[in-house]
Parts: sequence; structure tokens; C-alpha cells
Amino acid sequence: MDIYAESEYPTLNNISVIHQQQLIQFSKPGYWGNGTQRLEIAKFARDSGIEAGVLEKPKNYEMADPKNIAPIIKHLVKTVAVEPQIIDEKFFRKIIDGGVSEEEYTEIIGIVSKTTNIDVFARAIGVPLPLFPKPQSGSPSNTRPPEATKEDAWVSTIPIGPSGKEIGAELYKGRPLPYILRALSLVPDECRSNMVLESCQYSELGSVLDFSYKHYDCLSRPQVEIIAGRVSALNECFY
Amino acid sequence: MFLRESGHLEGIEINPLGLINKSVSTEVPQGDILIEFCDSVLGKSTAKLNKSRNDLHKALGSEAVSAASAIIGNFTKNDRIANGLGIPLPEMVMKQTNTLRDELGLNRFGSAMNSLRLN
Repeated sequence: MDIYAESEYPTLNNISVIHQQQLIQFSKPGYWGNGTQRLEIAKFARDSGIEAGVLEKPKNYEMADPKNIAPIIKHLVKTVAVEPQIIDEKFFRKIIDGGVSEEEYTEIIGIVSKTTNIDVFARAIGVPLPLFPKPQSGSPSNTRPPEATKEDAWVSTIPIGPSGKEIGAELYKGRPLPYILRALSLVPDECRSNMVLESCQYSELGSVLDFSYKHYDCLSRPQVEIIAGRVSALNECFY
Repeated sequence: MFLRESGHLEGIEINPLGLINKSVSTEVPQGDILIEFCDSVLGKSTAKLNKSRNDLHKALGSEAVSAASAIIGNFTKNDRIANGLGIPLPEMVMKQTNTLRDELGLNRFGSAMNSLRLN
């Protein structure tokens, strides 16, 4: 099923399939959460956007069950979903001090960011927000990659180069990837799926510094960068 | 930085101030239409969104609506990952963008501290 079948506009670069795969990934166990918990996070991120008036509620939409999410997680999810500009290190420390591990924190940031990506894309092309699948059974892995280490972000990441060992080589494939593509590497599956989204929607990995590179025939590179820059300005993202 | 460099290859002297101040032109062809589309996608008004989507369709075609939507979604994601995880800009980029950041007022963003604290 094409989740963007109602679109009047041609969807490009297999984005319907890639977003559908992403929704399915939310429904599977991750590092921290099982399928039900991960879907509740994704739903609560969407609910926050609907409540804030920046997303339209789809027909037959089942909202997150507030009983399934701890108050501190709700605070984290809602802030990332609708007020990313107010997040600072104090906010991060408060969440961690509230009992959320850095691995859980990283996984939740991944789920919320990717849910927002899908929802914003759907809204932009004028189709209803795609429905979430049913949760799949299974337990979270609770496996932290031993190569992850504290670099310059608040959370640990898998370094580029020999210290990233096998997992680093598998994730980065020797490419000099920017921090934004390594940022979720404490939870490698979140990192992998972010790379898939990036190479579908913005730029083939490793091509971003080639200014002659064009990802879309219909937009020039300056037009692409105008969009990127304006969105980041609206979100007050310095990076 | 990406914006200016990509403009040079196309022979355009891009004014990045237009990213922050809508009364200033970026000098990118159809840049004003693209900026309006970004604003309306992230805004609350469905009527404004429908109008800006139609304007973009008329100006650049149906594929451009889909492409611009995908880029907006991608950076909506990336901005949340960057702000949420506190990742900094590389030192080299910080040095190269010193003047530009001042001109655009980017250092006032809360997330600026993630990079400024290391430089």
C-alpha cells in the first residue's frame, strides 16, 4: 500500500516505501522500548503537533494512551516535537536526572524526530497523516555498543575511525560523515534509519560538500539550501 | 555556508540575510516562494499552506512541491536531532562562519551554546 497514494504530487526517490518502512520500525522493539512503547512515543509526538495546531488530525486516528507514558517522557517528547528551539543542556540534564538513560533519551529523540519528518512531509504535500501500524511483539535489546564514547555531544556516539571498530566501519563505511549523521549512533538502528531518510530526502551520504551535486532535477542546489536554511532558522537550530 | 558556495557555482551572489529577514531577497530564483512554503508548512494556517503549495506548483512544477516537502521534513528531523542531542558545529565551520553568524544573529539561538561552549 502506498501511504501517500492520495497525493496530487508525484512522490520521489521511493519516499513512500521508505516512510512506510520507518513506521514499521517504530512498531518493532528497539534498544529501550518494545513495539507498543515506541509507537506510543510516536503517537504522542504526533498528538503534540495536533494539539499545537501545526498538524491536522486524521480521520479515525487513535491518540496515544497517556497512561502508557511516564510524565517525564511526555515532557521530553512534547518539547522535541513542538518546541525544539528551547532545548538546552539544562533540559537534557533534567531529563537524565529524572531517570531516563542516555540510550533511552537518544532512542526517543530518534523516534520523535522521524515521526515529525513523516508528518511534516505528509502535511506539506496535502495528504492525511499516515496511520501507524500495529505493534509487533518482542523485547528491547538493551544493548549498548561498547564503542560508544563521549565526544562533543551531550550523549555518547560511535566515533569515526579505528576507535569506532567494526560497528563504526559498518555504519559509516569510511565516509567522513557530519555529526548530524552520527548523532544517533548510541542506538545504531536509529542511526541507520536516519541515514536512509537523509539519502532519500536531502543528499546522498558523502555528497553534501560537493556543491555541484544535485539531489533533485526540479530544484537547483541553492533552492534546496534555501529550504534547509529557512527551516533551520524557524527551528532556531544553530547546527 | 552551503548556500553561498552553491550559489557561486550557479553564478548567484546569495544574500543569506533573506533566510532570517523575509523583507530581504536571497537572490535565489523563486526563493521567496520557497521560503513562504517553508513558513506555511511549519505554520498553523491550512489556507496559507494551500495557497503557498499552489504558488510553488505554478512556479516550479509538481515535482518541486514533493521535493521541497521532503527537504522540509528532513530538516525538521535534523533540527530536532541536533538541538535534542546537543551536537556542535565543527571548529573549522565555526571559524569560517564567524562574520556570517554575527550578521544573521545566529549566536542568539539557544542551541548556539552547543558550539560556542567548545570554541
